[in-house]
Amino acid sequence: MHIPDAFIPLPQAAVYWLIAIIFIALALKWARNELNEEKMPLIAVLAAGIFAIQAFNLPVGMGTSGHLVGGALAAIVLGSPYAAVFILTIVLIIQGVIFGDGGITTMGANVINMGVIGGFVGYYSFKGIKKAIGNCYVSAGIAAWLACLIPALACAVEMFIAGTFPLVPGIVAMGTYHALIGIIEGIITAGAIYLIHTTRPDLMSLEAGGAAA
Amino acid sequence: MIDNKTFMIAGIIIAILIGVVAVFLASGDPDGLESTAFVVQGEKTLTGASPEDGDAEAIGLGTFEYDAPLPDYSMEGAGKIGDIIALIIGVLITFALILGVTWAITSKASKS
Repeated sequence: MHIPDAFIPLPQAAVYWLIAIIFIALALKWARNELNEEKMPLIAVLAAGIFAIQAFNLPVGMGTSGHLVGGALAAIVLGSPYAAVFILTIVLIIQGVIFGDGGITTMGANVINMGVIGGFVGYYSFKGIKKAIGNCYVSAGIAAWLACLIPALACAVEMFIAGTFPLVPGIVAMGTYHALIGIIEGIITAGAIYLIHTTRPDLMSLEAGGAAA
Repeated sequence: MIDNKTFMIAGIIIAILIGVVAVFLASGDPDGLESTAFVVQGEKTLTGASPEDGDAEAIGLGTFEYDAPLPDYSMEGAGKIGDIIALIIGVLITFALILGVTWAITSKASKS
């Protein structure tokens, strides 16, 4: 759901950038307080992995493909929605500037959708669902599904405001495709958390790690 | 438990492997946003196939244009090898940039 430059007029793109910058500043503050040398391997591997999985477009049928976003994964593993904002911002900068995936003017909107909305939805739905059902991996899977679907719906609304998509057909199509893409996102997120938890349980945030133990 | 260095090397190798597999197996169909653009332009039904050579961005009103050095994760004229190199570059730059940024902001914090 990387929005290209063509999809948002400049004045609106500027507004999204302003909002994104506020969250990027908060994410940098989080990183300064929470990250240390011990967490650097994890955050670096997560970022590289998220870049790679975002390049992998999986077929979901209906003439459409989708790739994982990774916002929920980052937020759950590092125990903060700001981890998703931090990592996704870096990934989106590289994708936009070097690979032309996602626009430059629309990068603010992309940071908001995938980093901010994806991170916050992923993190807080994970916490809530885990409280209700207990299983860390199932909770992470459902949270990741939501963290794929809800940013897509936000994106559809932004496209409506931009005058690019009509509201209802945009929401129906974006929702349908990303509900499917989200299933893959959920499975991979649960699998990745299992993998990190098995190899380096000490690196996981307490909430995710403790629940699985 | 594996140490930091092994964890990082294993992580980079997994990321590169995912990227290389993606070069050969990734779907050529447009993503959810582009597909939606085709749907709302009437070039695609919700569940139907996407147009082979459609321009999803034709619908956009934005005016800004930017030419990326490695557009669509590929090197012009270099085929699959170019795609693989582009993805490896991407994985390594991502890894280096996030380490650099994290190092810069955390070391500044330790000084103040």
